[in-house]
Amino acid sequence: MTDTIELVEVSKWFGLKVAVSEVTIGFGPGVTGLLGPNGAGKTTLMRLVSGLQRPSQGRLTVLGVDPRKDTDVYRRMTLVPEDESIYERETARRFIETMARLAKVASPKERAAEALATVGLTDSAGRELGKFSKGMRQRAKVAAALVTDPEVLLLDEPLNGTDPVQRAELIRLFSELGRTGRTVIVSSHVLAEVERMADRVVAMVDGRLAAVGSVATIRAAMTDRPRLFYVETSGPRVLGSALLSTDGVLGVHLGGSRLRIEASDARALAMALPRLARDHGVEVTSVYPADESLESVFRYLVGSR
Amino acid sequence: MTLAAHLYRRMMRRGRVISLVALSSVPGLVLWLVAFDSPQERRAAVYPEVVTSSGYSFAIAVLILTVATLRDERDAGTLPYIYMKPLARPWFAADSILAGAATAATIAVAGWLVTLGAASAIAVDLDVALSGLTLFVAAAVGYAAVFVPLGFLVPRALLVGLGYVVVIESIVASAVEGVAHLSIWRIAVSIYADLAPVFGTVTAQTILGPVVPGAGGGMAKIGAILLVGWLTLTWALRRRDAV
Repeated sequence: MTDTIELVEVSKWFGLKVAVSEVTIGFGPGVTGLLGPNGAGKTTLMRLVSGLQRPSQGRLTVLGVDPRKDTDVYRRMTLVPEDESIYERETARRFIETMARLAKVASPKERAAEALATVGLTDSAGRELGKFSKGMRQRAKVAAALVTDPEVLLLDEPLNGTDPVQRAELIRLFSELGRTGRTVIVSSHVLAEVERMADRVVAMVDGRLAAVGSVATIRAAMTDRPRLFYVETSGPRVLGSALLSTDGVLGVHLGGSRLRIEASDARALAMALPRLARDHGVEVTSVYPADESLESVFRYLVGSR
Repeated sequence: MTLAAHLYRRMMRRGRVISLVALSSVPGLVLWLVAFDSPQERRAAVYPEVVTSSGYSFAIAVLILTVATLRDERDAGTLPYIYMKPLARPWFAADSILAGAATAATIAVAGWLVTLGAASAIAVDLDVALSGLTLFVAAAVGYAAVFVPLGFLVPRALLVGLGYVVVIESIVASAVEGVAHLSIWRIAVSIYADLAPVFGTVTAQTILGPVVPGAGGGMAKIGAILLVGWLTLTWALRRRDAV
């Protein structure tokens, strides 16, 4: 399938800080999850694709044109920005209608009403956006994007602040948009969110692509990576030496009553640990991961490339 | 025009408008106070003298308003909503400057109405005050053409704009002939001086310096400033990051 968004060797830097580094990738119809820890470059990548920022280097096209040069592309592409900012003094209805008019949409009032209904804000349409909850604001921003019926929809952390019910609704909506042939890019730092709607995941760390593939591929990479655990025990020396001969344990570091264990297979470690403790007559008081943040997962993925 | 209307509505916030109308009313209030000390026969001449010499408060009001045209959107993080629309950059720039000029003109009319009220209170022939509208509107349009692009391009645009009004327009332009010709306030005064029936030669020389009164020339200069402002903003929208 042809890519609707193409980036070739795209970089963006601000002074000495490199925000996006030599990214070459294409996005086609369907939902793509853009994953990465805070500061990974997701927002900058979104801004580059949306034409809000110019690449310092490289080539970028959306629907075959450079969004910085051909503003007509904005009839077919919209962005839901990450910022909470919104026109506080405007009502939701006026905000969406203005967005429709600026996008030169036919019948802006009717389309605005449809978009508000889609995100479940019809009853609140007459209220000022400044009086909306965070989740309602997010939905109003999504409605502003949907009012143009875009072929390309960029969503920067669109689920922030939404409650579980709203989140499920929005995920269903984005999945539906992807299924109907639109190119939807959703950035998030929560894999579980992306997993529920994306066919494909692009992981970024430090401005670089860390991994590209299906959710299953990323999930496997996360599961297979070496992981660090701390184990508090009454017999660290005995348990440590027993663990060294266990499959899936790559190394053991002794520090007082605490063991730091590097394991390639967390499941195997979980199975072996209680058995070894019982066999050697030692007590295990706690087991906890040393670093389970998504950032550490992505750093591992970057390092393995 | 949709964009211009949106920007105009956004800028005309009640609190801001009230305070800026108060600032732009300073010439009218000064006129009313000065008139008490002036004999009746001198009062007609007082209007242009006072209004043109105390008009920098109006310039500052317009500065505060017009630099915010796109800067407010940028600072508030709402610029993507208007920037990512199918509107060619020259039209985007034109709409932005139009919105800036319209808000400035609104403040200008308010400021001028205060001078008109003051003039009628001190029993001055209103013909003198009526032509004063050209001064305020011409200055509003000229300043908008400069300050709207400045607000988009420069993070501390208000400070830079204040520097321009206070240092360049009121100090340097008084001393350097070349700069006086580029002073927006003097250009606006030159239009007014040509139209106002009692704008005395001495007053004209004091305010204008080397700038010759002339409505046609003044309007041409304002037009040129508009053109430069529009080209600059179009370039900035195309070449600079929007966020």
